[in-house]
Amino acid sequence: MANTVVAFQSAYRVSEPDLIARVLAGDRIAARELYDAHSPRVYRLAFRLTGDADLAREFTQDTFVRAFGQLSRFRGDSALSTWLHRITVTVVANAMRKVKRFRERETDLEDVHPLGSDSMGVDPVLRERLHRAIDQLPEIYRTTVIMHDIEGYTHTEIAEVLGVAEGTCKSRLSQARAQLRASLADLAPELES
Amino acid sequence: MTEDRFDELMRDAAQTYRKPPQPDFDAMWNVVARDSFGVTNPTRAGRSFRLPRGIGIAATLLLGIGIGRATVTFKSASPTSARTVATTDARTDSLPEPAPYSTETSQYLGQTAALLIALPSEVKAGRANEQFLSRAGELLTRTRLLLDSPAANDPTMRNLLEDLELVLAQVVHLENNQSRTELDLINRALEQRDVIPRLRTAAADISAN
Repeated sequence: MANTVVAFQSAYRVSEPDLIARVLAGDRIAARELYDAHSPRVYRLAFRLTGDADLAREFTQDTFVRAFGQLSRFRGDSALSTWLHRITVTVVANAMRKVKRFRERETDLEDVHPLGSDSMGVDPVLRERLHRAIDQLPEIYRTTVIMHDIEGYTHTEIAEVLGVAEGTCKSRLSQARAQLRASLADLAPELES
Repeated sequence: MTEDRFDELMRDAAQTYRKPPQPDFDAMWNVVARDSFGVTNPTRAGRSFRLPRGIGIAATLLLGIGIGRATVTFKSASPTSARTVATTDARTDSLPEPAPYSTETSQYLGQTAALLIALPSEVKAGRANEQFLSRAGELLTRTRLLLDSPAANDPTMRNLLEDLELVLAQVVHLENNQSRTELDLINRALEQRDVIPRLRTAAADISAN
């Protein structure tokens, strides 16, 4: 029985390509390992893009169901995470177009109590206005802003996920930021360039 | 300054804009597993406590063995329970009886077949490394657990599992001696016992059932 434990422990840590090969061979445990490794970031991205926990959960599940269904087509040209996030963005975009609406944030500006500055020194009213302005960006700009400024993806990663040139990604971010500044101009005139 | 102020706002947004809640990843996995593999995976006790690979399978099998043995003891010890079982059986005669551990056995057979088929090329290419052999070790453990489970009640399956136990034990011992002779012995055992075709047949039978 001692050999059993050794066998289990030594088999535990395996590389991602090996896990992928095992999933393709029908190994559900390997699939769970991949899911555990990637689901938190996929969910974060889905939530940031939708602003809705139920939708984010559903889209995360859809992402992995599609990914496992198409795993044999993953050639390893990009990182698995990039491939998964590409599926996530596609799933979210398609589904949100289908329902023809993006979930509006429920809190009205009037409901925000000016509690003063928080630890980052940001006026809550200004913060709320910025959040609304991000919500109202055109989809391609919003996705870029969320991925770069909110979730911390690099331009290279975003370009791979969205299937655009890196220059396009930088340009979109610049345009998006300009629109956000303009949206805040009445509250913070110094932001308007 | 303007750029700095805006960057500060965006850094704040990274912390506050649509801050994701903590979802139930286990429940989500159950949906993914059902839709991707047609089964519901047992939920792990908690995400912060991760069991080593394979322990879940071992636990399931051991539980099954325990239930199987307890059931046999219970049936033989109590005439009343035997009558109850008979009544229940008569009532459910028309229902198909699922093969014991069919899902687990089917997966095990598929994975074992894949490993044994790949073995010659892996050894030849020098890729029968620790990981490959660990996989064989894990399958050997599962073989022994299945031999002690109701899955081995079927004589054909038992014979196959016993042969696989022998072959996998040889594979595991390749670890420190990847000689041509060792591999030849394994290949001979595979051929003499007709292991691969029997594996495929058994897997196909389980799938058909």
